[in-house]
Amino acid sequence: MKGRRMANYSAVSGLVAGAFAVGGGLWAHAQQPSFGYAKWFGIYSKYLSGVHMLIGIGVLMLIAGLLSFKWPSIGASAVCVLAMIGLIYTYNRGMYHWSPLVYYWWGPWLFAWIAGIFAGMSMYRRVPQMGAQEGGAVERT
Amino acid sequence: MTELLRNEGLKRVRMRLITAVVFVFTLTCSGSFGMEDVVSSSGPGMTLLMILILPFLWSVPMAFVASELGSMVPEAGGLYRWIRRAMGEYWSFQAGWWWTLSLYVDSAVYVALALDYLQAKYNFDGTWRAIIGVCIVAVFTFINIRGLELTGWSLTVIQVGVMVPLIIFTVWGIAKGQGSPFSPILPAGEGVFSSLNLGLAIMLWMYAGWESISTLAGEIHEPQKVIPKALMIGTPLVIITYFFTVFAAIRVANVGDPNGWQNMWTGGGGYDFVQLSQMLSGGVLAYLMLISAVLSNIGLYAGYLATGARPMFQMSRDRLLPRFFGTTNKRWGTPWIAILTMAVVNAVLINFKFDALITIDVFLLMFAYILIFISVIVLRVKEPDAPRSFRVPMPTWLLGIWVAIPIAIAVLALFIDGLDWMIGGLIAVLTGPIAYLIFKSIYKGVTDEELEGSTVTPDGSLTSFGADVEGASA
Repeated sequence: MKGRRMANYSAVSGLVAGAFAVGGGLWAHAQQPSFGYAKWFGIYSKYLSGVHMLIGIGVLMLIAGLLSFKWPSIGASAVCVLAMIGLIYTYNRGMYHWSPLVYYWWGPWLFAWIAGIFAGMSMYRRVPQMGAQEGGAVERT
Repeated sequence: MTELLRNEGLKRVRMRLITAVVFVFTLTCSGSFGMEDVVSSSGPGMTLLMILILPFLWSVPMAFVASELGSMVPEAGGLYRWIRRAMGEYWSFQAGWWWTLSLYVDSAVYVALALDYLQAKYNFDGTWRAIIGVCIVAVFTFINIRGLELTGWSLTVIQVGVMVPLIIFTVWGIAKGQGSPFSPILPAGEGVFSSLNLGLAIMLWMYAGWESISTLAGEIHEPQKVIPKALMIGTPLVIITYFFTVFAAIRVANVGDPNGWQNMWTGGGGYDFVQLSQMLSGGVLAYLMLISAVLSNIGLYAGYLATGARPMFQMSRDRLLPRFFGTTNKRWGTPWIAILTMAVVNAVLINFKFDALITIDVFLLMFAYILIFISVIVLRVKEPDAPRSFRVPMPTWLLGIWVAIPIAIAVLALFIDGLDWMIGGLIAVLTGPIAYLIFKSIYKGVTDEELEGSTVTPDGSLTSFGADVEGASA
């Protein structure tokens, strides 16, 4: 039962992470429509601007968050991977463009991490350790 | 199929106290190379004050906490096992994962630094650099697989090679150098906090590593007695080494120029210990100091190869990583696959520019340290009467206040070294939950009763190990 509750917390955290990213992207767009350097790994496209990445990854995080209600491990892993991609995107693109972009990723990172923690706790409760009695894991404490 | 028990296959050695002290000294100090950068960035006076004050806020708490936890849970894997007992499987996996990831990169850095010193002196090309690097890794991998006795001996020889030139330099430098090493306290125009920026990050790094020897507990006879004693002896030894060598270095740098300390930095062109030895006495001492610097880094590599591989071994035994990491060498009783895996990664990494990876290093360690400090308080509350041959001599509430200081420093350290560093660390932190979700779903984990060979569970029913022993099905 506790495992289910943890899975729900994980899903909500994933949704909050996505909401932070989408909200951050919309806010950035309102302030500066072409915010963020529109290039990544040698590919140049207006769809790779900071605004597009925030909103695009944020939407994917929202979907992953919804998936977490059903499959918490898959959903939370996806949320964490998406946050990692977002942070990699901000990496090493010059202080002028980069510092403000990092601030937008703080919220998604934090809630992605929390989603991962709750998903881990959920899995710990749902997947009995070898040798554990039915009804959950047993640890010497 | 019967699982391997926790320490099954590991050979316990009777480690002498002096060898354990050498281990501690190697893992936490191994000479003062790198301190030069602190002097020029934070000022000579502030550097010496940090050397004296920071241990009591940072490394002494860790040494004491590691001693208490190590005496209470003297098991292979060290910090990973402490956190498992205090906070359960999830957080122990996180700490073990972050710590291991950090050391995979960290240990390769030491080989790269040793090669940098050699390459600067002998100017060989990249191919030779790769060959020498792989040879260093191969030699110390064999020594580590051969067992802790040989590793201990090799570290002792290495530390003699590190310290003899440093002691000669220190005595000579204090006698022949000039000026007050405490003056000025700060670089001109800098405030206390701005001067601490880079200096504090390096100092935290220089004073880290007290928990590392605990990971070897499964292979040391009576680790609950030997390791705390070694930590108590090693702590003042490290402070004294840092203080007097840096004191002498500043005096030597200031000969003929009271602002000579401003030129102290590593990486070429500045006054590092090798250059300062050259200035002090000419070629012979400089040559010895070069050997000392190379040996210092090789010693750190050998030490961290030994300690860095053990949590992975133990996590495998706990059925949270692939089983082959838990394999021990039948003849020498060491976790040879875990050691070899780490060595292969190191051998690959030293051939690339991996500055970006280094940035994750301290960040991940800080997260693991925070979990260790929390664990000691949790275990004091959860298991107040559990036997501890070493107990930090203060009540739990006072210990809580004391460890709050290094926790605060660790949190501060996450923010003081720039965005590059932080982003790398934030990305690496997220690998922890992902790895747990993957490996837990594949391998499931195992209870402590099962892993320690209990034939019955606390409620009296048969464990699967017990069933195997009795020839029945669980």
